[in-house]
Amino acid sequence: MRRERLDTLLLLLPATLFLLVWFIAPLSRFLSLAFTDQAGPLSTFTTLLSSDVYLHVLVNTLILSALVTVITLILAWPVAYVLTRLKGIYFSLTLYGVLFPLWISVLVRTFSWMLLLERAGPVNRLLLDLGVIRQPLALLFNQTGEIIGMVHVLLPYAILPLYSAMKRIDSRLLLASDGLGAGLFDTFRRVYLPLCLPGLFGGGTFVLLLSLGFFITPALLGGADSMTLSMLISSFVTDRLAWSLAAAGSLLLLAIVLALLALTMRLLPMEKGMFAK
Amino acid sequence: MSQMAGLPTPWRWSATISANLVVAFLVLPILAVIPTSFNQASFISLPPTAWSWRWYVSFFADPEWRASLWVSLQVAALATVAAIALGLPAALGLQRAAPGLRPVLTGLFLAPMIVPVIVSAVSIYRTALDVGLNGTRIGMALSHAALALPFVIINIGVSLRNVDQRWLQAASGLGATPWTVFRTVTLPNILPGLVGGGVFAFVTSFDEVVIAVFMAGYGAKTLPVKIWESIRLEFTPVVAVAATFMILLAAVAFVLARAIEAGRKKAKNTKEDKMDLGVAA
Amino acid sequence: MTARMTGTDNSGLSLRFAGVSKSYGRAVALHPTDLEIEAGEFLTLLGPSGSGKTTLLNLIAGYLAPDAGRLLIGDRDVTNLPARQRNIGMVFQNYALFPHMTVAENVAYGLMVRRRPKTEINSRVAAALALVELGGYGDRAIQQLSGGQQQRVALARALVIEPDVLLMDEPLGALDRQLRRNVQLELRRLHEERRRTTLYVTHDQEEALILSDRVAVMRAGRIEQLGPVADLYNNPINSFVASFIGESNLLPARLIARHEASVQVEVAALRQTLTLPLPAVSSASQSADVPLLLLVRPEHLLLDESGPLTVRVEEVVYLGELTALRLRLESGADLWLRRLTDRKITRGMDLRVNWQAAHLRLLPQT
Repeated sequence: MRRERLDTLLLLLPATLFLLVWFIAPLSRFLSLAFTDQAGPLSTFTTLLSSDVYLHVLVNTLILSALVTVITLILAWPVAYVLTRLKGIYFSLTLYGVLFPLWISVLVRTFSWMLLLERAGPVNRLLLDLGVIRQPLALLFNQTGEIIGMVHVLLPYAILPLYSAMKRIDSRLLLASDGLGAGLFDTFRRVYLPLCLPGLFGGGTFVLLLSLGFFITPALLGGADSMTLSMLISSFVTDRLAWSLAAAGSLLLLAIVLALLALTMRLLPMEKGMFAK
Repeated sequence: MSQMAGLPTPWRWSATISANLVVAFLVLPILAVIPTSFNQASFISLPPTAWSWRWYVSFFADPEWRASLWVSLQVAALATVAAIALGLPAALGLQRAAPGLRPVLTGLFLAPMIVPVIVSAVSIYRTALDVGLNGTRIGMALSHAALALPFVIINIGVSLRNVDQRWLQAASGLGATPWTVFRTVTLPNILPGLVGGGVFAFVTSFDEVVIAVFMAGYGAKTLPVKIWESIRLEFTPVVAVAATFMILLAAVAFVLARAIEAGRKKAKNTKEDKMDLGVAA
Repeated sequence: MTARMTGTDNSGLSLRFAGVSKSYGRAVALHPTDLEIEAGEFLTLLGPSGSGKTTLLNLIAGYLAPDAGRLLIGDRDVTNLPARQRNIGMVFQNYALFPHMTVAENVAYGLMVRRRPKTEINSRVAAALALVELGGYGDRAIQQLSGGQQQRVALARALVIEPDVLLMDEPLGALDRQLRRNVQLELRRLHEERRRTTLYVTHDQEEALILSDRVAVMRAGRIEQLGPVADLYNNPINSFVASFIGESNLLPARLIARHEASVQVEVAALRQTLTLPLPAVSSASQSADVPLLLLVRPEHLLLDESGPLTVRVEEVVYLGELTALRLRLESGADLWLRRLTDRKITRGMDLRVNWQAAHLRLLPQT
């Protein structure tokens, strides 16, 4: 059956070659530029990490991503829960409501928030009309707008894994806990919540990873002082042609992403073992 | 909603209300774009001060907007063909690969999904500069193909898992060559995954912004690139027109994907919780 | 494609397996095995899961490549030929019918692949469907069919190409008992009619008994015994075969003396010393250091008021026409006895039992 082995290799060859040539090679080439700056192999990193401005960007990116992740998870939870309970047309409609935004470009979704959040926009006008505020809020070109936009884009990525995990929770476990005399809060705290954890963890990590690399939304909705790492990388390339700095920044970003991924993969199987059905 | 059971009423109501609010939060803002495109005046206002088609006319009258739409369609078509041409054999090969090799291959094939898109964009841009492919539709299509490839492979892979190995054995035992087995047994059964993957690849390319912004140059400005530039330079409702077209395309593709999924479910009678994150969406 | 394809030779070809073995890493699926099946014979591979019977079948079909040995179909060495060139017909355990094709398209597949003309395909498919009593079902989708009907489509699909050898891998496993019995008789009838060389795999000994000319009992990658069904029943070679074919009581026996034409054994459970003629001693028990077992089948025990064994009835199991009695011997061991039901024996009764001496066998323990 050596013919089979050959066939398999031939099947895998085109995609492998293509990705090696048009993705892996460019990636390695670019990242290696981080070490080829005139000032020395590690100079780019020292530049980045010793500069207040750049450090601020790094810290800002991390804080922003963490904040967005937490808010997204909180908002995702009721939707995921409701999805596990719905049937028929209600289920489909709700699910489509979550899935459809994923098919629309980040640009368009962000743009729609620009329309809604500006000073004279509908949100401010509604709040003014309702008497909630006296003056239009500055919701755009600052961290508030950034967060709103990012949460909006990332919500489906949190809802779906969470729903998936919740769906797998055997409702009989909850009935058992109830039957054993546990109150609602206890059942929630001791049975439901721990069983949701893998989903929360998975969804949360996913959202966190995505938000670290976000470019469009912070660029359009964020303010002058809320630059993210990806915006910085872009700026290095387009504004200053500082390829080596861009590469160093990219390496940092990639390192954080991969570290998070490794951490998740380490922890998640263990989680599965703890709550394995 | 009487379909919900398990929680006492106050909790149930607050869960339902919050869920409704969140879903509204997800869907409605996107729709904000559409009325904006019908604004009579030259500034953006929502809701429109007066309703008019003029910006739609403007869009099609402007050679640059027209060209960007055309470029987007071409690039997306090219990227889709490439992604399928590469992804189909890859998915087939992945299934047959030795267990030791599979994680490595999966890592490679999924890499474009894992690497932050800004990093991918800048690295590909750099190489494109070196070989002179920046600002070309081919370069753009290839880059989008790389981005779409993981989704195509995953989608087809899911379909492949429903192909029983024994059908293939039976077919070959009955005298069919490997190519005939593929053509008569495998292919008909992975068609939903194939077409679904193709639709998703097309939309991915059409929607894509970050790579496009870097790779566009002067010769390959896609619609998102033109929108990106316009938002930062001149801000008239024609941008909303372009955005509305993008929403329209996404809606058509979404309906198509649902139809394929429904067809697949009917054929296989699966349960509702067949979710692969957002990929098989 | 040779003339063989058009099916001038209805009985199929002989099959020879010479020294074929298959391992996966360190796990041996099949030890080097020789097997010869005559043209037109129905041979069953019988054994528990993991015995290697499916591996052997797949090696013949060509879905697995052997590590060593040769395989011949008729006079053709097919060892290195891929499955599609071996002209075998295979019926899978779960039928493996193509879900996106109709019944007729499924059955026609092998002919279509061989590029037979349309008219020929249509007539041969119709004939095959009639053969399995599914005439007129051609246009149905296979999902509309019951398990039994699907099984017959699978059979028709395998037969229509007039294969040299028909292979069947536990095809009746998914059917309920009554249906299974009917199909077994159907298969028997079909085989009597056409006498196509058939290799059948099952773990159900009753099925093996009903269908086969010869049976090969397999265990752990080896053929333990091969022979006509009656031989395996009457003269099993060891305790594994004895317990796999028919019911058995196996009692530890100690060899006391060996004479020219007989042996003497002490059977502790019966508290008896028995003399057995040499033909009753399985050849495999000849070596002295293997623990021995006395085989006495439940149907060869009888109630006899002057019998040497005193027993108490522990359990009465009503099996319809037969009743199985679990009897407790004075030594504490249990014996099963089978007799025609007469409803006179109840739990707790004390009885006397005798055995049919001609049916006793001495076997090595395996």
